[in-house]
Amino acid sequence: MSAFTAILRKDLRLELRGGESTLTLVFLSLLILTVLTFALNAPAGDAGTAAGALWVAMIFAGTMGAARALVVEWENGCIRALLLSPAERASIYCAKLVASFVFMVLAELAATVMMVLFFNLDFGIRLVRLGPVLAMGALGFAALATLLATIQVRISGGDLLLPLLTVPVFVPALIAGVKASNAALAGLPFEAFAQWLKVLAACDILFLAAGYLLFEHIISED
Amino acid sequence: MGTKAAYWLGVITLAMMTAAIFMVFVYVPTEAQQGIVQRIFYFHVPCAWVAFAAFALVAISGGFYLWLGQQVWDDLAYASAEVGMLFCTLVLITGSIWAKPIWGAWWTWDSRLTTTLVLWLLYAGYLTLRVMANEVPQVGRLAAVVGIVAAADVPVIIVSVRLWRTIHPAVIVTRQGGHGLEDPRMIATLLVSMSAFTALCVWLLMLRFSTLRTTARIADLGRQLALAEAEMADRSGQVRGSS
Amino acid sequence: MENLSYLFVAYSIIFAAIVLYVMFLWRRQARLDSRLRGLEIQLNEIRDELAADQPKPMTTASRSVS
Repeated sequence: MSAFTAILRKDLRLELRGGESTLTLVFLSLLILTVLTFALNAPAGDAGTAAGALWVAMIFAGTMGAARALVVEWENGCIRALLLSPAERASIYCAKLVASFVFMVLAELAATVMMVLFFNLDFGIRLVRLGPVLAMGALGFAALATLLATIQVRISGGDLLLPLLTVPVFVPALIAGVKASNAALAGLPFEAFAQWLKVLAACDILFLAAGYLLFEHIISED
Repeated sequence: MGTKAAYWLGVITLAMMTAAIFMVFVYVPTEAQQGIVQRIFYFHVPCAWVAFAAFALVAISGGFYLWLGQQVWDDLAYASAEVGMLFCTLVLITGSIWAKPIWGAWWTWDSRLTTTLVLWLLYAGYLTLRVMANEVPQVGRLAAVVGIVAAADVPVIIVSVRLWRTIHPAVIVTRQGGHGLEDPRMIATLLVSMSAFTALCVWLLMLRFSTLRTTARIADLGRQLALAEAEMADRSGQVRGSS
Repeated sequence: MENLSYLFVAYSIIFAAIVLYVMFLWRRQARLDSRLRGLEIQLNEIRDELAADQPKPMTTASRSVS
């Protein structure tokens, strides 16, 4: 079994056995959606506001939870073992990234259901188009958060610094994601949707490549 | 970085900036549509050029630092980030001051201003990292990775913001490029101003870089001093012990 | 001239920012330089003292310090 598979299976199994990552993300997303419903006071069925609210929830829940898959290794004191093992740094990165991605997608599913309810949309075919958009957004964000996760651990006050670094870098994906989500939910023509999906794909490629290449330079025990 | 070089570059910068000011306020004609406020343009654009170029330098120096491991590259990256941040802030401020009389609003979500705002946020993140993590070992590597990712992101930001602005029904008319310069005197003034600001940027970089180098030298001497003092203590301990 | 105040404020801010930054760097460099000189003097003093003690037979213990 490759290192990637081993690490990933460990993380997913831990999560199934009552890890807090997914649940925390879900609750945070719901909380943020609730706050936004009060704060924005949008008219019913407003696809634009709903799309925006969903992405706000994803980003801020993500800044708090997406790095957890990696951060938890320090808390358990396992990071040294992980780094001493023959596993390549890039494999560690990929495994942690995929774990984060899974947690975020699960949280997004819950958030989407809540969004449809809170903003009075329909459980219709339009949600199907939303799927790839949210998945790609989660992938990009997980890629960035996992790369920069060491910041949270190695620097005091790092958990405030992480969103300050991650969110501006994520901005193009945010723009594309919200636009694509809006196009999906409002039933806009396919070209409008596809164009933003391409931008989102470009962002994902950039974040994944950067993470894959640069992770080994900054991952360390202390 | 000799102080002599810094001195002469300072002189050259001052001369070029003086020339630029003269051209902006005396030589160049007033633009027909916007009036004299348009003259802000001749310093606003070079500030933007420096802000973006400095950020590229942050990333490139960071890359060299990761590759070669020499401290000079890390110092250069830090210096570039500070200087770049200064000019990025000036872009936003002058852009805002320019926007008010022309468009009646202090801020517009014009694609260029928005991109610069995101750049400013990237700078802010980088510098906050530098300041907060100053004592952390290998902070240079951390900063280098952040710089590289952020700089690679900038082209994507530019494209996505531009798309965002054109698809969106234009509430605000986007500035006509500002490169629709009819009069050759305007182009000349802009070029002189760009050169002056480039010189200014390099000079400020040299100054900031030398403070970082001096700090490193102080740390190094401090270590040597500690070693020498330890040796002294050891010697005098032996004298006491042997008698 | 309309809008002259905007032009004036914009350029004033640019110059103020640049001048302030240069002054900040200048003073910092001066402070660092004086500290550097102080350290160099201290280091040279100690090194002179160590060199003056040199005729003493070097035991293995002191040799291992350097």
